[in-house]
Amino acid sequence: MTVSRRPFVKRLMLHVALLPFLIFALFPFYHMTLTSLKQDRELYDRYAVPLVITQGPTLEHYAKLLWDTEFLTWTKNSLMVAFLATGISVVVGTIAAYALARLKFFGVASLGTGIFVTYLVPTSLLFLPLAQVVQWLGLSDSKWALVLTYPTFLVPFCTWLLIGYFRTVPKEVEECALVDGATRIQALWRIVLPMAVPGLVCAALFAFTLSWNEFIYALTFTSSSEQITASVGVTTELIRGDIYFWGSLMAGAVLGSVPIVILYVFFLDYYVSGLTAGALK
Amino acid sequence: MAVRADDLPVPRGRPRLAGRVREWLDHESILGPVFVTPALLLLVLLVAYPFVMALYFSMSNAFIGRPSRWVGLHNFIALWDSDVFRQTFQNAFVFTSIAVAFKVVLGIILALLLNEQLWFKRMIRGAVLLPWVIPTALSTLGWWWMFNSLYSVVNWTGIALGIVDPPGPNWLGQRYYAMSAVIAVNVWRGLPFFAITILAGLVAIPKELYEAAEADGAGANARFWHVTLPLLRPVLAVVVLFSTIFTFGDFNIVYILTHGGPINATHLFATLSRQVGIDTGRIGEGAAISLYLFPLLVFVVWAQLRFVRKQVY
Amino acid sequence: MEPISRRRFLTTTAGGGLAGILATRVPPARGQQREISYLCWNNFAPASDKKLAEIGQRFTKDTGIKLKIDHVSHMGPQQQKYASEVQTQAGHDLVEMRMHFPWLYEPQLVDVSDVVGELEKKHGKAIGSAYEGAHVNGAWRAVPQYHAMFVATYREDLFKKASLKVPDTWEDLYTVGKELKKMGNPVGIPISQNYDSISTAGPVLWSFGGMEVDKDGKTVRINSPATVQTIEWYKKMFRDCMEPEVLSWSDASNNESIQQGKAGWIHNPVSAYIVAKQRKLVTADGINHHRSLGGPHGRHETDTPRHIAIWKFSKNVEPAKEWIRYLLGTREVYDEYIMSGDAFNLPVYEKLQDHPVLRTDPKYAALRGEGVQYHTYGWPAPPSDKVQLITNTYLLPNMIAKAVTGTSPKDAIAWAETEMKKILAG
Repeated sequence: MTVSRRPFVKRLMLHVALLPFLIFALFPFYHMTLTSLKQDRELYDRYAVPLVITQGPTLEHYAKLLWDTEFLTWTKNSLMVAFLATGISVVVGTIAAYALARLKFFGVASLGTGIFVTYLVPTSLLFLPLAQVVQWLGLSDSKWALVLTYPTFLVPFCTWLLIGYFRTVPKEVEECALVDGATRIQALWRIVLPMAVPGLVCAALFAFTLSWNEFIYALTFTSSSEQITASVGVTTELIRGDIYFWGSLMAGAVLGSVPIVILYVFFLDYYVSGLTAGALK
Repeated sequence: MAVRADDLPVPRGRPRLAGRVREWLDHESILGPVFVTPALLLLVLLVAYPFVMALYFSMSNAFIGRPSRWVGLHNFIALWDSDVFRQTFQNAFVFTSIAVAFKVVLGIILALLLNEQLWFKRMIRGAVLLPWVIPTALSTLGWWWMFNSLYSVVNWTGIALGIVDPPGPNWLGQRYYAMSAVIAVNVWRGLPFFAITILAGLVAIPKELYEAAEADGAGANARFWHVTLPLLRPVLAVVVLFSTIFTFGDFNIVYILTHGGPINATHLFATLSRQVGIDTGRIGEGAAISLYLFPLLVFVVWAQLRFVRKQVY
Repeated sequence: MEPISRRRFLTTTAGGGLAGILATRVPPARGQQREISYLCWNNFAPASDKKLAEIGQRFTKDTGIKLKIDHVSHMGPQQQKYASEVQTQAGHDLVEMRMHFPWLYEPQLVDVSDVVGELEKKHGKAIGSAYEGAHVNGAWRAVPQYHAMFVATYREDLFKKASLKVPDTWEDLYTVGKELKKMGNPVGIPISQNYDSISTAGPVLWSFGGMEVDKDGKTVRINSPATVQTIEWYKKMFRDCMEPEVLSWSDASNNESIQQGKAGWIHNPVSAYIVAKQRKLVTADGINHHRSLGGPHGRHETDTPRHIAIWKFSKNVEPAKEWIRYLLGTREVYDEYIMSGDAFNLPVYEKLQDHPVLRTDPKYAALRGEGVQYHTYGWPAPPSDKVQLITNTYLLPNMIAKAVTGTSPKDAIAWAETEMKKILAG
């Protein structure tokens, strides 16, 4: 009995320890969801209990967002930009990271630092001269401008995140393969990448989120309703001077995050727990 | 290890050429540069020009839409004389160091917890990730709504639980509370990044190492300090570095929650440079604000990266 | 599947190739048909944006000029748009600008004095604040379009219940404010880093006879007895009539406070009332407006005129002017446009001041603004970039915030004076 009970208690304790983290992470989301479902009258009533809905939920804020605005187009744009920018960045970042982590060649150290340093260039003003470059490329007011410019902050990020992960793959495993006659590229493809899958997934997911949340470039480089992304569209449509359409704004936050969370959960679970264990055996 | 030729991810061409290219690419001194080239090209083409322009702006009296004149380091020197700027300088360090410290410690704890056997593992991991995936511009508005003086749900809950006296703290109107509020939101948003990145690092640590340590009689504590932490160091170093830069350059949270107030107590470099450079049009001065610490950051990054690179085991 | 060749891959990811491919997919912006693009702010009233689109379609039908209207959120994002369009010398042909912006972008804007001249002939002279904002060094750099001015918004029902007198001066407001706070309905004037704070601090300072910078745009005049009076007034207001929350407020807070039944008096355009009405909030019926408050030196008020400007880099200046004339030049269309804005948008020409839109709701009566002088920020100094920097770094509200939270008025004023001088010298 005691043998089986102790792990149970330990597990319970683990969950208790997790509780504060979960509350911290979830409470704001809960509150946003609640806000998006409240009727205006209750939403703007300072005597109403903020933690529950007492006057009946409503979907009018969602209806407003979905039918009165072009939210679906904006979401489609956001998804497209995020997927393409992430794809480009992960591929470019992976090979660069492998070279920087494992290969010896002229200037490797300064190249690595150089790639990183571009990350320090502040975006809050960089958008101005970058707008000029976008204009030269003929991509003004086009979501393709975002596909092209997002990798400027995603590539350094992916590269350096992956360098860290490639380092955690023991060198010996790769050397064995090389001794067995594999080329470097084969070693990368067959040995290092499978072992670094959690890192790759991480890099991809985080790059995706960074693109998904980006605001300044999206606002600058696109204007038309057919080209803008969700964050820009929602704030443009629902913040009018000193008037905030809180219900629909929060509905936008909810709709803009739930699909991504599902994607995340699926990937994380599949890779972090499944594949890695397999790869290490 | 038998690998068939047509499995290879090398460009195809005439057989002989392919063979030669393959042989060629096996030299580290060639493969390395080839692999780095795409990243470099992208960055040079898209960042180099804007960066040089930004540098020029910072050393000129540029005003949006008007001819500008070179003024050397004038902006940088004049800024130091400005009360707002010195305040911002201090804010940026307080904000970044406290926020990053919280994120590192909480991130490691959370990752360790998530790495254990849990009920509802998927749901818990998904829940922990939420703050990171809600579009920032909107989630910060949500926080603003929560700190809102009229129906601050934070204060309401605090009062209901008897933790604070009504009417509760004036979150965004008092300098220390305002700083705590922006730090809290930053930690809330950045924690998943730490937790999940560290988690992926934890999962990659070979189980054998733990078994070996346990066989040597190491307790849970010792295993953490002597196995987990050293092996996490490369990942941790990179994550901290990134987060420091993210946090240092944070814009949205302050811009939406406090607009830099009260009395500039929460202004960061990004928000101040925006206020001066874009809202007022003094792009030269704005660029100088945002580039003020660039040399220092480059140095920190250089030192940190050297450290990361040495972490070979 | 054929793997992408390395070289192709490199060029694609490097940008040039991608750009080339994509560039061909983007249709040429300007072809045979004349087309103009117009960057507007999203209007307070969504119906007004819809009406604008409708008028735009009629314009295309009548003139054959295609019109593309894009919206951007103000309070920040719009400046980013202007900056990038000016920097790249490309973007929209027409832009909507607020208040003093034509001053900042003067060298980039087409002189539209001819269009304004025609409009003034039809609708009467443009109002004073429109002149302050868009008439730059003797030439119109933008065409006055509409405006939204600040008024006093108060809970008439509460005032009646407690038999409080509707205030006429800032001093009167203090007298009723004390009662309001006792009733749990404090006055709501933000003292924080937002525009509403500047919009109230300015009028109070002006009413006491003070100013930040003199007419010459060079001499700092903040260190004056009028500023001391302003600060003393704010101090007692903060102590007796308001709650510390005003230090944390954003532009939306005072609206929400009165809408939710907390604030008894706020200083804001009519948006607070209109939104309360639209959302059917319980407070809507009790809210009313009264004339702007005065002081020993008159009755001054903040105004936020909006204008339409044409970028100099535009290749379609004439069609762009045609659109402005179409929208503002005929009484019928202009009226139609104004009416769609539900008193958010008021006409900016003298003959139209007594507009039917003010009669759509008896509570709009205060918007006629008799005897009130309207100004933009920083008045009486011309809105140069340095004066704008003084406004945009919130020196005025921050000086007041310092004083109400413990700094002595003298030190607070000295601080503001030093900072202003540094800006003007820099």
